[in-house]
Amino acid sequence: MGHRRRRRRLVATLAVTGLMFGTAACGSGSGSAGSSDPNTLEVWTRSNPDDAATYERVFAAFTKKTGIRIDYQPIINFDQQLQSRASTKDLPDVMINDTALMGSYQSQGLLKPIDPDGIAGHDQIDAKTWASTVGIDGKHYGIPYSRQAMTLMVRKDWREKLGLPQPKTWQDMLTLAKAFATRDPDGDGKKDTYGMVVPGSAQNGYAAWWGASYLWQGGARIVERTSDGGYKPVMDSPAAVRTVTWLKDNLFCGDNGVIQPGALTAITGTATNFQDGNAGMYLTGPYNMTTFDQTIGKDKYEVLPAPAGPAGNEVLADGENVYFGARTGKTEQEQALGAFLVSPEGQRLAMTGGEHQPVVRIPVNTTLDAAKVRNDPRWGVVQKAYENDSVVFPNAPDFAPVKQDTADALNALFTYCGSDVRSGLKELNDTLAGDLKDQDLLK
Amino acid sequence: MTAPAIDPIRTPVPTTVDKATQERRTTPARFDTALGWNDRPGVSWALRILLCAIALGIFAAPFLTIVSGAFTTHASGSSLSFLPHDSTLQNFKVAGERGIWDYFTNSLVIAGGALLLQLAVSVLAAYALARHRFRGQALILTLFMLTMMLPEEVIAIPLSLVLGHVPVVGVDLKGTAWGVILPLGAWGFSVMLLTEFMKDIPTEIEEAARLDGVGEFRMLWQVVLPLCKPALGVAGVLGFVMIWDQYLLPLIAAKDPTDYTVTVALSILRTDPEVGSGVVLAGAVIALVPSLIVYLLLQRSLVAGIAAGATKG
Amino acid sequence: MTATVTTPGARRTRVLSKKALLPWVFLAPGLLLALVFKFLPMGKGVWLSFFKVRPFLGDQWVGLDNYTRVLTDHRFLDAIGHTLLLGIGQSLGAIAVGFLLALLLEGQARTLKIVRTAVFLPVVTATAVVGELWRLLYYPTSDGLINHALGFLGLGPVQYLDNPNTALWATMVMSVWMLAPYNMVIILAGLAGVDRTLYEAAAMDGVSLWQRLRYITLPAIRPALGIVLTLAAIRGLRVFTEVYVLTGGGPAGSTEVWMTRAYTLGFTRNDIGGASAASVVLLCVTLLLTVTVNYFRKRGDVR
Repeated sequence: MGHRRRRRRLVATLAVTGLMFGTAACGSGSGSAGSSDPNTLEVWTRSNPDDAATYERVFAAFTKKTGIRIDYQPIINFDQQLQSRASTKDLPDVMINDTALMGSYQSQGLLKPIDPDGIAGHDQIDAKTWASTVGIDGKHYGIPYSRQAMTLMVRKDWREKLGLPQPKTWQDMLTLAKAFATRDPDGDGKKDTYGMVVPGSAQNGYAAWWGASYLWQGGARIVERTSDGGYKPVMDSPAAVRTVTWLKDNLFCGDNGVIQPGALTAITGTATNFQDGNAGMYLTGPYNMTTFDQTIGKDKYEVLPAPAGPAGNEVLADGENVYFGARTGKTEQEQALGAFLVSPEGQRLAMTGGEHQPVVRIPVNTTLDAAKVRNDPRWGVVQKAYENDSVVFPNAPDFAPVKQDTADALNALFTYCGSDVRSGLKELNDTLAGDLKDQDLLK
Repeated sequence: MTAPAIDPIRTPVPTTVDKATQERRTTPARFDTALGWNDRPGVSWALRILLCAIALGIFAAPFLTIVSGAFTTHASGSSLSFLPHDSTLQNFKVAGERGIWDYFTNSLVIAGGALLLQLAVSVLAAYALARHRFRGQALILTLFMLTMMLPEEVIAIPLSLVLGHVPVVGVDLKGTAWGVILPLGAWGFSVMLLTEFMKDIPTEIEEAARLDGVGEFRMLWQVVLPLCKPALGVAGVLGFVMIWDQYLLPLIAAKDPTDYTVTVALSILRTDPEVGSGVVLAGAVIALVPSLIVYLLLQRSLVAGIAAGATKG
Repeated sequence: MTATVTTPGARRTRVLSKKALLPWVFLAPGLLLALVFKFLPMGKGVWLSFFKVRPFLGDQWVGLDNYTRVLTDHRFLDAIGHTLLLGIGQSLGAIAVGFLLALLLEGQARTLKIVRTAVFLPVVTATAVVGELWRLLYYPTSDGLINHALGFLGLGPVQYLDNPNTALWATMVMSVWMLAPYNMVIILAGLAGVDRTLYEAAAMDGVSLWQRLRYITLPAIRPALGIVLTLAAIRGLRVFTEVYVLTGGGPAGSTEVWMTRAYTLGFTRNDIGGASAASVVLLCVTLLLTVTVNYFRKRGDVR
């Protein structure tokens, strides 16, 4: 009896599992809902409803001009939705998303190569910007759309009160940070101010995103292109060791208050000390200016180029590209949209959101001046930093693993003040070599 | 409270049971609770007040900072205050401009529908699992619990495909409230909870009813359900919280930003550089009100003792 | 299982009688919804764990590669210890605190209702907001509430989250705070079902409070405790959101748990096959744990 019952149970289990897998197999591969109308483009952006309102204005202008309709979908969980559409082999025609995703998308076959010559007005985008959309095989896989570079936001009122100059070097910056922390710049008699804000968590690679500018300024790189088209990790270089040691000794393990408390677990969303008015400096992207204008006031802070390290004052740049989905067969319409998006008109519309968020920060179109379009000279500082002193993460490989591993290692080195930077970075370099090897890029 | 000897078959309406028990409080309160708390001033009474104050201080006081931040113009993300510096409704206004009330309405529709479906499905399944004996019972219960075990991020992409094209029927549920409601129908926890509590109901009542020729659905509705009101209350409250908290599912099922829920809207507000943390906190306050109301409403059934004493044993 | 309604005679009949079919009618809606919206995607998720996932180019079968990769990755192995400590600690802590809260707040008085509702607040607040709230409570200077309180006792400000030795414990305290009122609600429902006449009888027999709890209350709330324990088994090792919103796995990976690793793998590294494999491993362990908990619970029931 017991035996029979057990066998029956087994059969039932098998039947249920079989059913599960059977239906799972049938469930996929069907249900594409693509628009077959050649005169309608399906466009995705990774946007909140507020950004989406700006995009809608841009697309409406495009439709008015060309008669090509846009089926626009702002999407928050962009990559999840993209993967699920990819498995039905039916991709959106045009996507606007981070520059950093290009390598990953290209390696998954999601993108169609782009011929810059086919985009009207392509010569209004400079060579440096176009170079950032070259894939691993030498073809372009994106049209540059929006760019930004990091600048240093400084509490001008505090700095002037303490009688200190604008920081031009790392040492100036450190001196200013210490003064902000110890000399009571807000005048409330309490020791509750900090030198600078650092989003130092490894989560989503923030530590690497923040640290990259300092690495560039110290003369270091994370990976380097080799002459035969591959990449090699260079985080064990003397410059990298020197830079990370400086950051560790002076910011994380130096005097209290140089950086905000809780920096090791802070991401940009939680590192709000600058806007809360208790930290004096923040090396960050220009999109934050809207917030700072509201919370601390436009006249209370200044936007400066990053202070120079031993090798200069280069900063990290990033932004968004326009991508064309693979195998969609509407190249002409897509090119028309691409041309409009980078045209002075399209860029201008996207830079002035009206009541909504602008979606283009620094225009890729060189005929436009961000400071003039926005009527705000501070944007000139950002544009200059982008044009003259910025370096992007390599976008041709899938850079996300490299960035994440770098962030993990930096966060660990900054956490343990007794750690050995040289051996820590050596270990990181080996990990990065593994990441590149996974993509067959290690040379 | 003492349980008056009421046979739930003859007086199947549960509310009357509660009222009756409340009115007929004859025995001292110290038999009401496991620890025998006394509700007259004394040492036990004072101790309980002290402990309640501590519990409130730990679990509820931190919320004053959320509420105070919601009413402060420039709420700070890096310091706490229990009282707003400058009382204002500005944050709620901004949250409203960002469409939080539309998302709130979406959430209410989804939460209402999904909770009803979830309770109905769970009650039926639990009744079968607890009050009937059949082959594969343990397996079925395990299967229901299995639904809770794989993280939703892992099933997100396949679920998105299913929602876009439901197998066999071939309907596209995306962009409809059903796309969120139906996947929430089978929740292992409430099935397990109701099963456990239903198992504990003595069989005698049911057997007596069966002899009277009561049919299965009436049995469930009029005999079993009134006896597991506390469990239903728990399933209702925690089910509501679970549904209200969904973030990924509404995103997967949405076709358009107008389909988002208030939980999604909250996370959008958090990443919006134009709004400060005060607006986020205002959104958080708005978002937690419905769950609290549901809890308040269902409190009675959560703690109101049932007439179990009369029949147990 | 105490309840039986089918008579032994019915069990012997082979034909699909109305009686035998009945439970399946009741189960049908639940099973159908679970099949379509849970098991189907789950099956697909399990299936993907054997592939190098490339949705557009076509998935590549890699057999058990994803599993060996996950199980030999030192960062996953490092996460096991944290996962166990955090999972077990927060589950037991939340059960203990939830039980104490339920005992304290049991009763019908209106003030108690208000107190219970207030104590329930952590459950109804969006987890991300809870994370932000606790980052403020843990603020590492004397501005932080907890450090402020410590200041009165003459203790210096503690770096709760930025110190790798305390971050995991700090996360655990927040988790207990979030989960204890959840368990309280379930245990309260159990306490509501306790036969009051037994308390009265116990009082007449002059038993101590401890004996009353041990011999009357505990046996009577066994279903509630069983649910709370099973829930702990299911949720404990899956701990993710709490860590994600509070520390993001840091500092220096000291709060990295299994699911934060799997999340990083799936979302920042775009390795869906690997993330699926990691989740399936977790699923198997959780299933085993749940079945074990239920086995011991049933044995307890029989005894």
